[in-house]
Amino acid sequence: MQGLSIFGLLVATFLMVIAKRTPALVRSFRYQSFFLFLATLVIALEERQLNLYVVAGLIFALKVIGIPYFLQYTMKKINVREDLGLIANTQISLLLSLGFAYLSWIFSKQLMSSSETTAILPAVAFFILLTGMFLMIFRLTAMAQIIGLLIMENGLFLLASAVLGGMPFFVEIAIFFDVFVSVVIMGFFVYRINKLFTHIDVNRLSRLRG
Amino acid sequence: MLLIFLLVVPLILAAGVFLARDAKSFGVVNALGYCGMLIVSALLLQEVVAGHGMLIEWHFLVADILSAYFIFVIAVVSLATALYSIGYINKDIEQGIISLKKAKTYYLFFNIFCFSMFLVPLVNNLGLMWVAIEMTTLVSAFLVGFYNTKRSVEAAWKYIIICSAGIIFALLGTILFFYAFSLSGCMKSLNWTEAVSTAGSLDPKVIRIAFIFILVGYGTKAGLAPMHNWLPDAHSQAVGPVSALLSGVLLKTAIYAILRFGFIVIKSAGFAYFGNLLLLLGVISLVISCCFILIQKDLKRLLAYSSIEHIGIIAIGLGLGTPWGFLGALLHVFNHAVTKSLMFFGASNIVRAYDTHNLHSIRGAIKTLPYTGTMVLLGMFALTGFPPFSIFMSEFLIIMGAFSKGAYFIAGTLLLFLVIIFGAFMYRFSEMLFGHLPKNRVVQKEPLSGKLAFAFLLVLISAAGPALIYFRKDLLCLVQNLLTL
Repeated sequence: MQGLSIFGLLVATFLMVIAKRTPALVRSFRYQSFFLFLATLVIALEERQLNLYVVAGLIFALKVIGIPYFLQYTMKKINVREDLGLIANTQISLLLSLGFAYLSWIFSKQLMSSSETTAILPAVAFFILLTGMFLMIFRLTAMAQIIGLLIMENGLFLLASAVLGGMPFFVEIAIFFDVFVSVVIMGFFVYRINKLFTHIDVNRLSRLRG
Repeated sequence: MLLIFLLVVPLILAAGVFLARDAKSFGVVNALGYCGMLIVSALLLQEVVAGHGMLIEWHFLVADILSAYFIFVIAVVSLATALYSIGYINKDIEQGIISLKKAKTYYLFFNIFCFSMFLVPLVNNLGLMWVAIEMTTLVSAFLVGFYNTKRSVEAAWKYIIICSAGIIFALLGTILFFYAFSLSGCMKSLNWTEAVSTAGSLDPKVIRIAFIFILVGYGTKAGLAPMHNWLPDAHSQAVGPVSALLSGVLLKTAIYAILRFGFIVIKSAGFAYFGNLLLLLGVISLVISCCFILIQKDLKRLLAYSSIEHIGIIAIGLGLGTPWGFLGALLHVFNHAVTKSLMFFGASNIVRAYDTHNLHSIRGAIKTLPYTGTMVLLGMFALTGFPPFSIFMSEFLIIMGAFSKGAYFIAGTLLLFLVIIFGAFMYRFSEMLFGHLPKNRVVQKEPLSGKLAFAFLLVLISAAGPALIYFRKDLLCLVQNLLTL
């Protein structure tokens, strides 16, 4: 079962790397969150911890349903071009992300320093984290940056459940709340940027220099 | 009770905004509230220092010497800012730049921002501390983009994205710290009070990696170069009073977070690791900020780069590890906070009077704004480390710490860059203050509340130096206690 969710997470992440338009990216983000939900649920079943069930439920409610819906709603409302603005084209992005996968595997084996099976989930988590950062830097629109940030957070949630069996309960709830609020606030700023500049291309936000 | 009071007052003031009829009278109430906060934080500091202990409320809030000190710094700057805001916001309304509703929004976010900053040193839990720091970013982004111009929204966007991405790394670091704790089998709660007692038994390898992420994450928020790119934009575009809060205390809350984790690292992986990393980042910050200060044409950005410089100096002081250096760095936190607030208030007044940020277009400011001009002149001397003022004392301590450790290269670099930056400031500010006054300028009236804020800060800047000499033995004793914990 955990194998299936790991496979799904990897596929969804590679789909994000090759996505050229914002709706595709949001859709893959939804898939990724769904497999994150599955992975967390499996860990919860293994460890029999109540708070992990709650975390899994929150992932489903917020990251599979709430946030993607909000992002689609914002896209519709601001009505801009849907291109993501790729700095590195899909082939190079894909090659780089394969490199990330290898790096995270090495790093995870070093860090966990126990059997290889326990290092797999953290490796996937680091891979997702790196890919999120990559998308934030190498995609031009403000929407892509928000989604990149969310992907990085997905990686962290996976890491926290995989190596720790979850953070202390109220910390986890607070982090969830924080993530949700930050997405809403960033959406609000995207809306404002679009109103003032009539585009959301962050590469062209260059009034402040030096 | 003291701890709860510190968190409740900003929230009450934030709620009170909805009842306010006009901005000016609410501003006065606001300032009175922060006056109370300052008194309570001074009481807290006194109680913690006299009792040599911790105050804990429901395992959730905690105050030891370090947090009580940072709370005091935050309280001082937020009182000064609350005072200065009265006149500033009132003038904005009079000139029709903002509506009454917008002024209320300002006070609402101001209070929530202060609440989140007070929360950072008070929470016991290292995970919740992360949440509080992220909350400061989210709230202050509104205050950076307050005027809704192209420039300010751009600055707010860069601020929110760079700091959120940075702080994700801090969360990763926190998770890895927690992993190290769970490996040693001691702790399930991430509470600081438990963490520090078990720190000795942790796996140094994991802690080393985790601390790099913590340093990158919170270092972004602290404005340590090379993660500083958001800082000049946000500081120069924020509402005048808020620039002072951002530079004076927001950066310091991140320094506080680094220190908290730093104590655990020192205990498990040894001091050299922690110290060398901070020294490296400190020197990089000093060099980069110096380059930008030399070529800067924008008044508020000049001050923002100077903040990066001072954060670098603080990092160097902490990284040295000698008690004098550590004491100097901690005192520098306070001294820089009050001095830079004064400078940002002055800069905001000047920018408003001349309607430009450009240093080449501002001339003869001391004639247009006699009071502000004089204060900015004194503040400039204080900021660049001129003798009677407090920053001189803390920089002196840090350099002394470097010499006593035998770190001559660090001491030399620090002195060299301080001299260069002093020269750059003298050149820029003498032109700005004393240059030939453009013809159509008249002397402007300044509001009383603004003058009060300046006077309050100036007293602290001048008094802290002598007070420091008087209390040096007690202070050193406190710092040694802190270092050995």
